[in-house]
Amino acid sequence: MSIALCRVDDRLIHGQVVVGWGQPLHCGLIALVDDEVRRSEWEQDLYRMGVPSHIEVVFASVDEAVEQFAAWESDPRVAMMLMGDLDTARALCERCPSMRRLNIGGIHHRVGRTERLRYVYLSDGEVATLRAIAARGVTVTAQDVPTAPPVPLEDFT
Amino acid sequence: MAAVTPSLRRSFLRLFAVQGSWNYDRMLGLGIGVAEEPLLRDLAARDGEAAYRAAVGRGAGFFNSHPYLAGLVVGATARAEHDHVAPERIERLRAALCGPLGSLGDRLVWAGWLPFLSALAVVGVALGAGWLAVVAFLVVYNVGHLWLRWWALRAGWEHGVRVAAALHAPGLQRAARLVAPAMAFAAGLAIPAGVAVLAGHVPAWSFVDLGGAAVAGFGVLWWRHSVFDGARLGLVAVLIALIVGAVVW
Amino acid sequence: MSSPETLLVLLAWGTLVGVDLVTMPQVMVARPLVAGTVAGLVVGEPVTGLVAGVLFELFQFDVLPVGASRYPEYGPATVAAVAAAHGAVEPAGLALGALVGLATALVGGLSLGLVRRLNTVAVRAAASRLEGGDPHAIARVHGGGVARDAARALLVTAGGLLLAAAGRVSVLPVLETRTGALVAAVAAGVAVAAATSGTLRLVGRGRDLRWLVAGIVLGAGLLWLR
Repeated sequence: MSIALCRVDDRLIHGQVVVGWGQPLHCGLIALVDDEVRRSEWEQDLYRMGVPSHIEVVFASVDEAVEQFAAWESDPRVAMMLMGDLDTARALCERCPSMRRLNIGGIHHRVGRTERLRYVYLSDGEVATLRAIAARGVTVTAQDVPTAPPVPLEDFT
Repeated sequence: MAAVTPSLRRSFLRLFAVQGSWNYDRMLGLGIGVAEEPLLRDLAARDGEAAYRAAVGRGAGFFNSHPYLAGLVVGATARAEHDHVAPERIERLRAALCGPLGSLGDRLVWAGWLPFLSALAVVGVALGAGWLAVVAFLVVYNVGHLWLRWWALRAGWEHGVRVAAALHAPGLQRAARLVAPAMAFAAGLAIPAGVAVLAGHVPAWSFVDLGGAAVAGFGVLWWRHSVFDGARLGLVAVLIALIVGAVVW
Repeated sequence: MSSPETLLVLLAWGTLVGVDLVTMPQVMVARPLVAGTVAGLVVGEPVTGLVAGVLFELFQFDVLPVGASRYPEYGPATVAAVAAAHGAVEPAGLALGALVGLATALVGGLSLGLVRRLNTVAVRAAASRLEGGDPHAIARVHGGGVARDAARALLVTAGGLLLAAAGRVSVLPVLETRTGALVAAVAAGVAVAAATSGTLRLVGRGRDLRWLVAGIVLGAGLLWLR
């Protein structure tokens, strides 16, 4: 199998991920890459509560994710990789060359960000980060749920 | 422990409109803030107006979850404010609750309890139960709905920052496990039941049109859903049928 | 044509149904089966209400029930469909109901997006007071959202009822021929397709797929026996 979805979503595991993507993709493994969540037991406990028992959740720091990326790709289950922010995504794209696609699933309002799509708010720095990722040959699209059309990077930055 | 336990009743009632100001910037945020505010009022007397306003402001920030479980975050953050938990920790708690509450609620209710019971109601109508099936749907659905809302608010207030423990409730986990296959089975029954109801209201010679539309429609909705959702496809198909019938025949 | 009193009751019911979907109290009278059944009782034709309810309940299964994605709104649409269909001979009533209901559902969906956009504008206009935790400002902006959704639901229902009235005058005569049967059959077919594909998407390819198939087989078997 391969990693079916590499997704940036500041809510990490939520309904769109588990029901919207997880069900049709028949996902069996979620790799949640976030340095802060990796250090926080109670947050991991919460995120596990949102996931049905047939999906395993693995928490990893960026460094751990780079090490385990190949293992997730060759896992017999369908895997999804979730990241909470674009810095994490850029680090992984730079260090895992086989990551060819990046889904922007939800980056929400915060001071300094402006609305690009209903579910994507980006600061100028974050736009630059996304362009840098795309410049490496990674296909970046925004798509909240699989039943919606994917939006190419140039249409929302 | 909190010095006083404020009444949860006002928050509970306000939570019924938690999505009332749904917007792209804060999603449910304002609704959460409005529902949490009654639980924060005694902070004004205890810690001063500024502390109360700061807590209300935190409560109304970006939040998204399932509406029926929103009480968990309202109760938990209000309790944390009462317990003088550091603001950064409360922000972190809110951020970490969004996803799991959304996911659990979507699985339990929107993709579980609701379609399970609505499918059974369709089956009931097909079996001739008429409006009684609809009444039964409303009553049973809302017993679960109201229980979940009340449980969420109470559990949030009881556990505060340790709210994850509440989500380990064995009943909740068992419900989440059982409701998905139950929904799948009921939806399976409802599809032929729905066909039976609708086929009873068109002449037999048009069954072939019904079947053709179903097969072609399924193909479009399965492979081209991002272009045509059910309503768009339905309207286009119905208009084509109307034109074919009125002009070509 | 319905009496003005009946239309007013339908308008009030459609508004309640529209507000229930997202805003409050979410007791799911917004479900097409409930919205249609009550509308059927209002116009004195329970069967018309049930049939429109089942039709749009099947369409409802097409909506992926997660988060902020766009979706059509079938509640007020079902009320409008019942208003369009009552008194007409079958299958012309079902055909006109489908036409009016699907159009209203699309408008309803667009209006939900519009209200969310207006709410966003209101939130941004009050940003500094909201950030400061002003409880009155928060309550006011929130209440404004509730009022907007109520106005939206009222307008969508009114639009649907107008469409129903227009359809009864202009399209119904065409549907009272065999064209009506064709239109009704096509609407029913797409509804079944919507329910099947939506359910399959929701159930996924895991263990629960077996339960879905078991349900379909058992349901079809019972149907055949009857």
